[in-house]
Amino acid sequence: MTFALQAHGITKKFPGVLANDQVNFDLARGEIHGLLGENGAGKTTLMNILYGLYQPDAGEILLDSHATQITSPHDAIQQGIGMVHQHFMLVPPLTVIENIILGQESLRGATKFLGRLAVLDRARAAARIRELSHQYGLEVDPDARVQDLPVGAQQRVEIVKALYRDAKILILDEPTAVLTPQEADDLFKIMRGMIEQGRSLIFITHKLREMFAVTDRVSVMRGGKMVGTTTPQHATSEMLAEMMVGRKVILQIEKSPAHPNATVLQVENLQVEDERHAQMVDDVSFFVRAGEILGIAGVQGNGQRELVEALTGLRPVGAGKIFVLAHDVTHKKPRQVIEYGVAHVPEDRHKHGLVLTFPVADNLVLCTYYQSPFARGIEIDAAQVAREASKLVGEFDIRTPSTRTNVGSLSGGNQQKVIVARELDRPVKLLIVNQPTRGLDVGSIEFIHRRIVEARDRGTAVLLVSAELDEILSLADRIAVMYKGRLLETLDAKIATREQLGLLMAGVKEGAHV
Amino acid sequence: MSNVALKNSPNDARSAFAKTLDALSNPLLAILLAFVLGAVIIAITSGNISTVPVAYIGLIEGAFFKTRGLSESLVATIPYVLASLAVALGFKAGLFNIGVEGQFYIGSLTAAAVGAAFHDLPALIHLPLVLIAAALGGAVWGAIPGILKAKTGAHEVINTIMMNYIAYRLTEFLVSNVLRDKASSAVQTIRISPNAELWNMATVPARLTDPLNAIFIALLLAITTFFFARWLVLRTRVAARFQTAAQKRAFTTALTFMVALAAFFFLPLLTQTVWPWTDPYDRLHIGLFLAPAAAVSVAWLLNKTTIGFELRTVGANPSAAQYAGINIGKNIVLAMALSGALAGLAGAIEVLGVSICRCLPLFFSAGYGFDSIAIALLARADAIGILPSSFLFGALRNGADLMELRSGVSKHVISLIQALVLLFVAAPAIVRYLTRQKTKADAVADVPLTRGWGR
Ligand SMILES: Nc1ncnc2c1ncn2[C@@H]1O[C@H](COP(=O)(O)OP(=O)(O)OP(=O)(O)O)[C@@H](O)[C@H]1O
Ligand SMILES: [Mg+2]
Repeated sequence: MTFALQAHGITKKFPGVLANDQVNFDLARGEIHGLLGENGAGKTTLMNILYGLYQPDAGEILLDSHATQITSPHDAIQQGIGMVHQHFMLVPPLTVIENIILGQESLRGATKFLGRLAVLDRARAAARIRELSHQYGLEVDPDARVQDLPVGAQQRVEIVKALYRDAKILILDEPTAVLTPQEADDLFKIMRGMIEQGRSLIFITHKLREMFAVTDRVSVMRGGKMVGTTTPQHATSEMLAEMMVGRKVILQIEKSPAHPNATVLQVENLQVEDERHAQMVDDVSFFVRAGEILGIAGVQGNGQRELVEALTGLRPVGAGKIFVLAHDVTHKKPRQVIEYGVAHVPEDRHKHGLVLTFPVADNLVLCTYYQSPFARGIEIDAAQVAREASKLVGEFDIRTPSTRTNVGSLSGGNQQKVIVARELDRPVKLLIVNQPTRGLDVGSIEFIHRRIVEARDRGTAVLLVSAELDEILSLADRIAVMYKGRLLETLDAKIATREQLGLLMAGVKEGAHV
Repeated sequence: MSNVALKNSPNDARSAFAKTLDALSNPLLAILLAFVLGAVIIAITSGNISTVPVAYIGLIEGAFFKTRGLSESLVATIPYVLASLAVALGFKAGLFNIGVEGQFYIGSLTAAAVGAAFHDLPALIHLPLVLIAAALGGAVWGAIPGILKAKTGAHEVINTIMMNYIAYRLTEFLVSNVLRDKASSAVQTIRISPNAELWNMATVPARLTDPLNAIFIALLLAITTFFFARWLVLRTRVAARFQTAAQKRAFTTALTFMVALAAFFFLPLLTQTVWPWTDPYDRLHIGLFLAPAAAVSVAWLLNKTTIGFELRTVGANPSAAQYAGINIGKNIVLAMALSGALAGLAGAIEVLGVSICRCLPLFFSAGYGFDSIAIALLARADAIGILPSSFLFGALRNGADLMELRSGVSKHVISLIQALVLLFVAAPAIVRYLTRQKTKADAVADVPLTRGWGR
């Protein structure tokens, strides 16, 4: 095996955390190397070191068997390393071309005298971007603004960006977390295409299935250490899960039959538009009863986000009615909806879910900071907030050096756990969870799933929106499929099959196109 | 779980200390660098290296050691503190209030008008009245751009700048017409009632012989004591000494009353026997106590209350604020109004405590409003950090004259040094590079002070 990249004894400390502890890692030329590990294991940190974002406290890096130093992302790009980050690093108001050429601008009419003061050569850049997207089947519109693109497309922009810089080694940090299974399969094809071009890939994911689908080797990290490397042929899901969490993980959750009660959420002929006045939710009616989980399956971008935002008061309702326990909440403000007993795990954790520059503790009381016991009058009782925070950090196993650490410095999965902990801990009547386990490791998923079922058994009505069929199938009591803004059909989970749902998600209803 | 060191670690205290050091090191370095670069500029412009020490010694002497030097530095510091608190509060809510100067004018104007409107109200009533009126004036002036932003999304930078010009011209108009003192040859407003003045330090003993004034001071001290005692029993180790809430209340009340009574009966006598300020030309006034009180109040409001939590959330992530049920529009207006109120207070201080005529003259240009942006940035929008930063700017402003006199170096060099400080603070990367600090790219990104243009 010849190695494209080797890392020896990488150690990285953050205040209160040893994020990487003597990590050894190697990437053979032309392989897809999967990296697995629980939330906060140090995967992103290791990758950020290889990409020059962080400097290791100890250890060395070899590229093509030559020791080297990677002092900055710019340096990494020069040395042929590209990275697609867990949280995208795009500039939303800029166009796709502008984002891709940022820092690598090709210029027209650049003279010695004026230096880099010259006209951007957009045409040449656009041509090259088109060529790359064609070659790898990465469809992107070079002139679209990034802020208008769905996440899947944003991700393609990130990949094209790395290819544009001609990365020989490409790091993909949880690229599939925001993708549908279909999109993920497309991505795998693209990844294989890149291997054929002689590139080498590092691929991080929490989905064991994907490890088997696409990787040549798998390495597992735990608690900042590398615990081992194996090949998909020699491993099973159970083995990998146990390696990363350090205990047996139940991949399929046990749950008793639901005992549904009175209706909690009633939605009637709901219509919702997005920012550009496209009708995203079109005449949708459904109900959720206390003590049951209604799953809404569907490929992302079919109106789920708009539906959830309308239900929680974040987005204006065009027409129709929403009732929570007989209260008409159709045009109510988010605060009122919350106070009727609704909790909401939002889809986009950085946009709605968290204030990244606030400590973990403050984020854990983001919706309740003004209520007793956290506030008396206008004064916030810091001691109570800290107590609540410690409790939740322990209960939900949020890996953080302290409750005063800024939430922005937690690993992606632990950030998600902060939101889930906050929303699941309150006594609520209706729990709306949108992609609740995105970016979580299998152990945490098991735990969160158990908590959701527990909430159901206590009599909470649960609306679960997820692009993960597995999640829907293992949690929901009834399953509705959303396609192009409409709810196609509501099935009993006991009789629903994967194939049936897959067809519905693609818009195929009883053999006919809708 | 080995990398998960200690939740709520006992290290918190140490790391809090380290954090403070970290936060301080950059402003201090920035200041140092600014002075070094300032020295280079002085040396080059004067063509003589020996001017540098002469200039800097003049500066230091002027700011601290000449007669009334320190006092004058403090006199300049006081409005700086309030005006920069105004800017900082805006920053925390994600707003860039460039209108502090205009709100300062409105505060001065209101103070001059209300101060001259009554003649025999006791200070106990008149002084708080003037201050409240000035704060309200500033609040209204600040709230207007706030409302415009909340309702239409119009950017506050543009609207506060426009409000500045309206404030300047309105002040000119009112000072030269409606409020003008016809008896004076200078174009200025009528002298305010002595009872509306912010007492000059030298006059404190004489003022306290009036029992009403003694009551006033006793009341102020009692209020301060009340909050101090409350803080003691709720937030410090003292709390452990009390078993019940009733005991804590009793302690707080007792202490408050004791201080009030002691102040009323003994302070007048005490100030007559020992009082450090006897120089009648010394302009230092009791605003000296107002400034830190304001800083502590703003820090408390921002960091310890639900109001501050909402303001900061709106500033840090408006989408998350909306998600949490926080009313963004309301908080934008509130932040601008509070910011304007602080700026208005700063303007009142200039009229009530500093101006020689105890009035608002037509040609009254403070520039406090704009310097305060620099000060707030230097303090990283931290309310307590604003106290030393303001003092630095006050001292520089005051020391500049003697520097010019001694060395012939133009006092505008001071503006240059202030600008350099600001530059280095605003661009920590430059400071790090120049001082070869190890890059801390992995430190979590700083709080953006504002979110720039658009929402
Ligand atoms: N910039 C930072 N400052 C402080 N601590 C950090 C920083 N980045 C990461 N950490 C800490 O380092 C540890 C490892 O984080 P990392 O992001 O590498 O985890 P991960 O394996 O990628 O997890 P996930 O699967 O949740 O993305 C975590 O405990 C995290 O809190
Ligand atoms: Mg990660």
